[in-house]
Amino acid sequence: MLLEVKNIDAGYGFLQILRGVSLNIEEGEYVCLIGPNGAGKSTTLKTIAGHMNPTSGEILYRGKRIDDYTGNKAAQDGIAYISEEMNLFVNMTVEENLFMGAYTIRDKKQQKDNLEYVYDLFPRLIERRKQLAGTMSGGERKMLAIGRGLMANPTLLLVDEPSFGLAPLLTESVFESLGKLNTSGMTILLVEQNVTKTLSVTDRGYVLENGQIKLDDKSTELSSNPYVKKVFLGV
Amino acid sequence: MLFNILLKKIGSAAGLTVMVSIIVGVYSAYDRGLYLAINTIVMGGMLALMAMGLALVFGVMNVAMFAHGEFFMIGSLSAFYIFPPINTYLMENPNTFLMVIAPLIAILGASIVGMIVGVIVEKLVFSPLRKRATDDWVMNSFLLTVGLSVILINGHQLIFGTEAKTIVKYWPGRPFNIYDVYISRDRIYTLILSMVAVLVFWLFIKYSRTGRSIRAVSQDEKGALIVGINLTGIQMLTMSLSCGLAAYAGACLLFLYPSYPTVGIEPLYLAWFVVILAGLGNIMGAVVCAFIVSLLKVVTEAYVGSGWEYIIPSALIMLMLVFKPSGIFGSSVRGIHEQ
Repeated sequence: MLLEVKNIDAGYGFLQILRGVSLNIEEGEYVCLIGPNGAGKSTTLKTIAGHMNPTSGEILYRGKRIDDYTGNKAAQDGIAYISEEMNLFVNMTVEENLFMGAYTIRDKKQQKDNLEYVYDLFPRLIERRKQLAGTMSGGERKMLAIGRGLMANPTLLLVDEPSFGLAPLLTESVFESLGKLNTSGMTILLVEQNVTKTLSVTDRGYVLENGQIKLDDKSTELSSNPYVKKVFLGV
Repeated sequence: MLFNILLKKIGSAAGLTVMVSIIVGVYSAYDRGLYLAINTIVMGGMLALMAMGLALVFGVMNVAMFAHGEFFMIGSLSAFYIFPPINTYLMENPNTFLMVIAPLIAILGASIVGMIVGVIVEKLVFSPLRKRATDDWVMNSFLLTVGLSVILINGHQLIFGTEAKTIVKYWPGRPFNIYDVYISRDRIYTLILSMVAVLVFWLFIKYSRTGRSIRAVSQDEKGALIVGINLTGIQMLTMSLSCGLAAYAGACLLFLYPSYPTVGIEPLYLAWFVVILAGLGNIMGAVVCAFIVSLLKVVTEAYVGSGWEYIIPSALIMLMLVFKPSGIFGSSVRGIHEQ
């Protein structure tokens, strides 16, 4: 088991968001976390990535407890977190951003190889390599954020709302890249609003509502589940 | 093509200001003598060191630092206590090599003291505040720096007294004669020292791995955490580096500014002028603007008369804040307004 989240509570100050959330991810799986706005999907990802700490419960990553980690420690252990707001270094060029992504890797050759790999995955970024990250379009920035996450050779990729604010065509290409990554062996936990699309590409899904896991099943089962159909797909 | 790029650079606010300053600088040096240019560069280099520190602390930690002048004071005070013993030793055992090196030992020693005090301040003041709450961080940290400044000034007064503590000069020997203008050795060496420090620091920020992570933190704190940068470590390092730079400036200028409790106020205000002119948090811009402010001060002193040298820069800053609050180089970090 790569990641085990056991019964975690988390929140901001007095506001509790997560109430006993549990989920498991095996190595190589493509798992999604869906739910209505404010259900706590992003909070779950933030908590796993160490940007927030759970008030109770455990997070085990490769059998090791990581629930008291800070964001940088989780990153050093191979958890790449692609946040919704991307958090790029806006006054650095695309290539500088990517090299910052490989901050935890000291080996220069490995850094170059990873750069090649990212450029292969997102050819668009080669054209923009000398451009400042802050001056790019939303879709390119999203690609850069994912690329930067991949530069550190992560084992687990946490992606928060990759389609947020993107045109449908770009969303499609981002999903395609994530699919490619998964077939090459990357474990992905995806948080997404676009439920139909998400359930059609992922292996397994969790439905989060009011900070609690309501359902968990194979994605194909979920998309035919009457509850999911009624709430998310509007059928 | 090249001409077009040049024209575009000159057309921008930053390019225009730099061009005008260069012309004014060259003309005034030609008109009133070389010492004007030397003074500008000595002042400017030291201001650049102070302002880079301020810009760094603001960019990385979002602290509007008003105790930076006191690190200048700590630097000059430390140099005052480190240098004379070495000097007396030298009087008894003359040694040409040591004679050149002794001031450097004092200056580097003073910067190390500054860095250590910086670390202590970060550990004792900012780190606990950051742990408690980040609401109203800008205001709270600003008030803390003012308090810190009062404590350090009065600490100096209590322990070391109010009298001006000074040395005659760092480097013995006759002044240099450059085109019939006599310029003291201290001035020339200090000029070189400040240029070296500015250059080294600039290269460090621009090209080293640690420098890159400092810039990364100043551009996006969460992004820095995401790529695995140790935020607390970088904050500590930034604080100690910028305090060390201020102390370095203070130690270098000991022969011009004797150490007394409030000696840091003047460099602090000038450094703030520079930082506002350059755009808050813009480290590279601060270096250029330090020389512009210094030129403004020196030229005002020479042409308008002494007493006016702070009025003109401050008037300029007020105009700046009214018409172009982001500074001539533009801010490279999120400003206070957006926080």
